[in-house]
Amino acid sequence: MVAYIFCLTTSGGVPVFARSKNGLKQLPFPVIGSLNGVHMFARSHDVELLSTVTDDSKILWKSFHDSLTLIVVSEDDNADDCHLGNVLSHVFDSMVMLLGFDDVTNIKNVERFKKDVRVCFPLIDKFVEDQSLLTFGDLVNAVDVIAAAENAVLQNFLDAFAECADSPYGCLLIHGKIAVATRKWWNLTSRELVLISLLVSSLTSCSSRDIPVFLPDGSPSVPHRLMTFQLTKFIDVCVLCGPKPSLNELEEEVGRFWRTSYESLRAALQNHPCNIPSSFNLDSNILGFIVVNIETNRCLCSVYSSSTTNGDESLDCHERRHILRSYYKHVVGNYFASKVEGSEKIPSSFTHSAMDTYMTTDTYKCYAMLSPPHQIYILYSTDIPTFAMRSITEKTLMILTKDKSTQL
Amino acid sequence: MMFASGKLIQADWHTTAEGRDMLSCLFTRNKQGLRTFGLLERPPLSAHIEEVHYKIFVSGKSGVGKTCTVAKLSGHDIPKSHIETAGIQTSTCYWPAKVLDMNKVMLFRLQFWDAGEAASKKFDHIMSACTDRVDAILFLFSITDKVSFDELHQQISRLTSSGDNITKLVIATKCDQHALGEVTRKDIRDFEKTWKIPILKVKNILDNNQSDTNDTVYTMNALCEHLWQRDLILAGKLNKPILLPDSETTKTITSEEFI
Repeated sequence: MVAYIFCLTTSGGVPVFARSKNGLKQLPFPVIGSLNGVHMFARSHDVELLSTVTDDSKILWKSFHDSLTLIVVSEDDNADDCHLGNVLSHVFDSMVMLLGFDDVTNIKNVERFKKDVRVCFPLIDKFVEDQSLLTFGDLVNAVDVIAAAENAVLQNFLDAFAECADSPYGCLLIHGKIAVATRKWWNLTSRELVLISLLVSSLTSCSSRDIPVFLPDGSPSVPHRLMTFQLTKFIDVCVLCGPKPSLNELEEEVGRFWRTSYESLRAALQNHPCNIPSSFNLDSNILGFIVVNIETNRCLCSVYSSSTTNGDESLDCHERRHILRSYYKHVVGNYFASKVEGSEKIPSSFTHSAMDTYMTTDTYKCYAMLSPPHQIYILYSTDIPTFAMRSITEKTLMILTKDKSTQL
Repeated sequence: MMFASGKLIQADWHTTAEGRDMLSCLFTRNKQGLRTFGLLERPPLSAHIEEVHYKIFVSGKSGVGKTCTVAKLSGHDIPKSHIETAGIQTSTCYWPAKVLDMNKVMLFRLQFWDAGEAASKKFDHIMSACTDRVDAILFLFSITDKVSFDELHQQISRLTSSGDNITKLVIATKCDQHALGEVTRKDIRDFEKTWKIPILKVKNILDNNQSDTNDTVYTMNALCEHLWQRDLILAGKLNKPILLPDSETTKTITSEEFI
């Protein structure tokens, strides 16, 4: 769990911003200055300081393009450093997305930049408050999707609307998870997909938006316009456009293109928070799961299983989410490689590559399996016999990936 | 353009049986705030009620509470701390009011346009998108920030001209923070006298009580009334703004119950 993130200029060590988890007291400047100081000292001796651990916390440094240095302080969860590095990359990419690569890597006026960067705080705070995120995309570097039987119908509505917006990029978000997206939207890189979905859910709710965004990989210096329209509460349709059409013009078309989809939208909304249709028959010992397709950059996650309702209250959804996140961090970087940058280092040093791994505790059991291009991580209740976990995991992956509505 | 409220729109219509009935579909079930409607939705009111659409641009210094005010008036969640708005955000809300000259209830559909300061400076299209065919501009200042008040003059001159048909209103935000107030009542009175623009007051805190609801009703009615007045002038039904002696106006605006 992230506690603090600091941002300073690499050359002068001028503090740009400090974000801390809600409820934690801010660290005084001398502490932040010292943290940056050791990194700068090492640098001046041609040594790169990567990370360190104290009794209960971990600190990681990362400089970006000789412009900004980010420092993260987190609780030490014995996970590989790649996960915290991933957090810092997300934070840097967030700034690129809202301010543009040129403004972030070539800061002319620090005071001005400090003001400009405030617009990124809601998005950056998503990574600081990672324990309250309902999605897993930031962790697995793949974007959260929501499966619904209505998705096939909704795809047609979306394609027609995107065409009207004169944009190949369109997606429909339900509670911040992609229900459907145009073919071109899926060509965005994984970090772009993750950041756009998180950006939309980080903003204050409203009817429509027109936000200049830079795509960290596709268009870091030329902004596109991200337009979103709230069709009904918790459902937004997003398009990425050039200078045309205007927000006014496109909003006038929303009713014409989407009105007849209203019932389908309401029906698809019912799949939140499970993220899968209730018709899916998963094993009752499953408390939660993450399925990632590392080729298509999609992930499907849920911590609301059927057993949530029938009295098994040993672990609430918040705990399940926390355990799954920790388990993912425990496995990836130590045994499995994944989309997270640097996660392949340790696994590739083994003489063979692990395809399955599991863990049992007094209160839960976990199982992870690689089945390229898919990866699955399941949280089980202790009722499941350990020997059965492998076959049930295999079967679950089959159910989740073979169904048309999941698009995995 | 100042006039006594209640001339064009029945001020106490919301306390009548008909009014209460219609308002109840606009508020959330626990009456905590207004309900929000997605772009595909409309309040569950009779389809016979005529709908009039308005585009309202919200202007003001960074941090005065533009986003919070819009959220408050349109029923969206009010952000807990200041957030710089990225690009443009629009929020749509519906408000029924009884128009006196036609003696019927109209449904006002107000679309607030809110843009972050940094983004509108950096990207040219944002300001022009916000002010294109705009019906009204709300100028916001915070009573805790004198600079935001002083900037009003410049903003009004920049965004409007005397010949345009844009309805202009000023809203004072953070009126719950008296202790930190930097703008005095005299400042406000002087401003109203100079510009002939009324100043409304809001406090963007979520308190679930009747006076809060009354404030919302008052603000929304005032907004709709000014928009309606503009329509009447444009249609040639109303010749000139009804100016009232200053003393009376200030009395209406700074009445204790509303501050």
